[in-house]
Amino acid sequence: MYERYHVPKNEMPPMGEPFSKSSVIRDARCMNCGRCKDACIFSVHERSAADPRVMADPKSYLCKNCLRCVEDCPQRALSVELSRSYLELGGGLWTPQRVVTIWNEAWTGKVPVFGAGYRGKFSGTGYDSMWTDMSEIVRPTRDGIHGREFISTSVDLGKRVDYLEFDASGRLITKMPSFVEIPIPMILDLTRLDLTAQAKTGLMQAAKALGTMFIAPAEGYLPNGRNGSMVPLFSAGNTASRYDLSNPKMVEMEYSPDWASDLKALKERFGGIPVAVRIQAKSGIERLAVELASSEADVIHILYDEQSQESDGRLAKDSLMAVNRALANVSLRERVSIIAGGGLAAAEHVPKSLLCGADAVTMERALKVALGCHACAVCDKDRCTVDQNGITSDWSKWRAVNLVGAWRDQLLEIMGAMGVREVRRLRGEIGRAIFYEEIEKDAFANIKGGV
Amino acid sequence: MATSFFESTPEEDFSQVPPQLLKRMSRYRVARADTCINCGLCASLCPYGVHRRIEGHVSIMPPAEPKCIGPSCASNSYYCVKNCPTGSLSVGANPVFDSMGDPRWTAEMILGTWKMAESGEPLPLDHPANVGASGGGFDRMSFALPPMKGKFDPLLISTAIDLNHRKEGTKIRIPIPVYGGGMSYGSISQRTMLARAMAAKELGTFTCTGEGGYPELLIPFKDNVITQIATGLFGVREETIKRARIIEFKYAQGAKPGLGGHLLHEKNTPDVARMREAVPFTNLFSPFPFHSVYSVEDHKKHLDWISSVNPSALLSVKVSTPNDVEMVAVGSYFAGANIVHLDGGYGGTGAAPEIAKKNIAMPIEYAIPKVHRFLEKEGIREEVTLIASGGIRTAMDVAKAIALGADGVVIGTAELVALGCVRCANCESGRGCPRGIATTDKELEQLNQIPILARRLTNLYRAWQLQWCELLFRYEMNDIRQLRGRMDLLRYEGTLGRMLP
Repeated sequence: MYERYHVPKNEMPPMGEPFSKSSVIRDARCMNCGRCKDACIFSVHERSAADPRVMADPKSYLCKNCLRCVEDCPQRALSVELSRSYLELGGGLWTPQRVVTIWNEAWTGKVPVFGAGYRGKFSGTGYDSMWTDMSEIVRPTRDGIHGREFISTSVDLGKRVDYLEFDASGRLITKMPSFVEIPIPMILDLTRLDLTAQAKTGLMQAAKALGTMFIAPAEGYLPNGRNGSMVPLFSAGNTASRYDLSNPKMVEMEYSPDWASDLKALKERFGGIPVAVRIQAKSGIERLAVELASSEADVIHILYDEQSQESDGRLAKDSLMAVNRALANVSLRERVSIIAGGGLAAAEHVPKSLLCGADAVTMERALKVALGCHACAVCDKDRCTVDQNGITSDWSKWRAVNLVGAWRDQLLEIMGAMGVREVRRLRGEIGRAIFYEEIEKDAFANIKGGV
Repeated sequence: MATSFFESTPEEDFSQVPPQLLKRMSRYRVARADTCINCGLCASLCPYGVHRRIEGHVSIMPPAEPKCIGPSCASNSYYCVKNCPTGSLSVGANPVFDSMGDPRWTAEMILGTWKMAESGEPLPLDHPANVGASGGGFDRMSFALPPMKGKFDPLLISTAIDLNHRKEGTKIRIPIPVYGGGMSYGSISQRTMLARAMAAKELGTFTCTGEGGYPELLIPFKDNVITQIATGLFGVREETIKRARIIEFKYAQGAKPGLGGHLLHEKNTPDVARMREAVPFTNLFSPFPFHSVYSVEDHKKHLDWISSVNPSALLSVKVSTPNDVEMVAVGSYFAGANIVHLDGGYGGTGAAPEIAKKNIAMPIEYAIPKVHRFLEKEGIREEVTLIASGGIRTAMDVAKAIALGADGVVIGTAELVALGCVRCANCESGRGCPRGIATTDKELEQLNQIPILARRLTNLYRAWQLQWCELLFRYEMNDIRQLRGRMDLLRYEGTLGRMLP
């Protein structure tokens, strides 16, 4: 029977006091009149429980920066500033706002909805320099995407055949390629994440709860926490590594100059399931992609860095489009699936990666951020203030499920607006995106100084 | 009851509204330490009136920070910090000012809008409050301003535009190239709605009910109220359609294109629900799209339906800005629309998913020239009123939109900022706006007085009008319609080939 895919969510508040974006400061001029208590509708200002004659310290984490108290204070004793810890969050692509957004998504599992219009920069680099299209009158309906109407976020990973052949008696004679279907175009990649065993176990359970997969090294990686959602990763030349679960849905191998023999060995060892080749993106990746697509490889997993770039600096957006185009030019695009990983810092990066040519993406650092990481520009263990020791596997699991669930719901919003009912149809659909470079020329070329 | 709001209207002159907001928010912080001996030297030195002693008082008043010109004053002989005999004074940046605003609506812009709303006086055209810091679109665009030659008489310069460019149908002219955007009852308070309607009536322009029905309070202002037919059809009745001189079909909204309206449950109070004929305290998402419109033929049928109910009304079609926005505009024209209203991606909202605000559909700056040129090519430009909205924040943005090819614009957020909004973005849930503007909370609503709200709006538009007049005067124009499509007057600081900041 058909069952609608649904991400179960479970509110998981942060450990300890919630983060304060603003700091509310009460200085010595305060005369405890309590006007701020009346002004604030978010309960930042309360009288002290121990001594009601004085005001308690403001609860900054509840502050929403409306500045009512600042305005109403007769003594001008209050000020509200962006907190230092907020301004120091993240780095580069991982802006403080994005880090806080991921924390909130992991907490509530909800699509972030706020009042007032857009508040950020006009455009940016990479995925931030494109807009998705919308349709004024085309289905699916908006009330349908979260309810009555069927809208699919399933993707297939593996090879596809161009056509099917049948013999005279109507029997299928085409040898069906191996592929795996997952209900969301997001896979958890734990390989590059430095986390405690509890946290990792939680993420492995999250992948299972979500019905998707997680990628982790085949050997030595938390044997007790493993489940059937694991995609074991074999390092180059180690295709015979011990792997203790019998039926993986997909396996992955590191790219190396000897990739062809590794691929052959894995195909023999795990017959009938797709094999993904994991490759670091650098210039010329489109040529390697064509080479891999012409081989037995079923999936190419392209890794970008956490700033969404190739190792030579080309942006993932441009790189994926180049790969997609190169494969399409030689009619190989259907022979291989592409997974893109790295530099996915916000929900909108998922549909944008797909529009640029990926079939699915992997979530990496966003998962770590969901577990409290600040996504600092340089990860320095000695200066890290995040205590991972309190993380339980259950907390980790639900934080990750909430985050992925919130991102999937936002993917639905984008698809609903575009009038696309199947996420597979987003792949490489650059005609349904608006690119800064093009539209800028289109609109402003005849203004002096334009373009 | 409708009249109760007016009973409290005293016969007062509100041309200068009390500067309750500017008094508290300032760019600089002037601190006086406990070591001050109240000698009064600072009060006698400061020419800006920051330090003051009331006659007969021992203590100096707390510093009037908004008047301070900041640390750059150090080069002046009268700099208070340098002259204070006990070294008790300090001047520095105000962290509250820095925490206000965002790249699109800078703190400077919010304060500038407040200043115009409170005084009715225009800002100079090169004032930093006229542009944002978003690093693109309007914020990289400027007029190559010719110098002023003498003084202008605003009575000799027209800023009026026509809303119906077709040969047939009712002619409506508004004296400023702006009317108010749709904000529903539910997203904003009745007081805010009423103040907007009062201001629109005084100015001779329009405001819009949004999609939440037509509150009876607005009936006295019906000649200046547009009513909206949105996908939810909340509160749409034959009599509301018959009442309006302009009917707006909302296909999509720039802040959430393709997603339909959002009114979260907490703001859906029994009063709001009654108006919308819905269940109180449930989330109200208007559907997307119109369930009766799946083609341009359906769209025409839709417009014909309204025409048959109210044949004299002008029809406005509000659409978002997809890739094929120009085709949508042409289709709307041929279906019978008088006004094609484009709502760009960075527009305002009472509640929208953050992902939609940034990512779906193009900013209005791109859509205006695209549509303007296409309508010209189709030979129908002179029969369409092209209205732009979505991220138009200041009088200079309005002028830029017109120079890019729009006839006029619709303003939403700037009106709310004029009323005292700080863009804290908490209007979507809970009790709504902590400042009582975008709320349905009976208690918070009381924070604002309708006559003052209305005056803040008319002040803002009067100030804007003077800014437009100055701009036109510098170009030796006497009619804002001459500015339309004059992209040659604009300068654009292109960024291609360079990294954006």
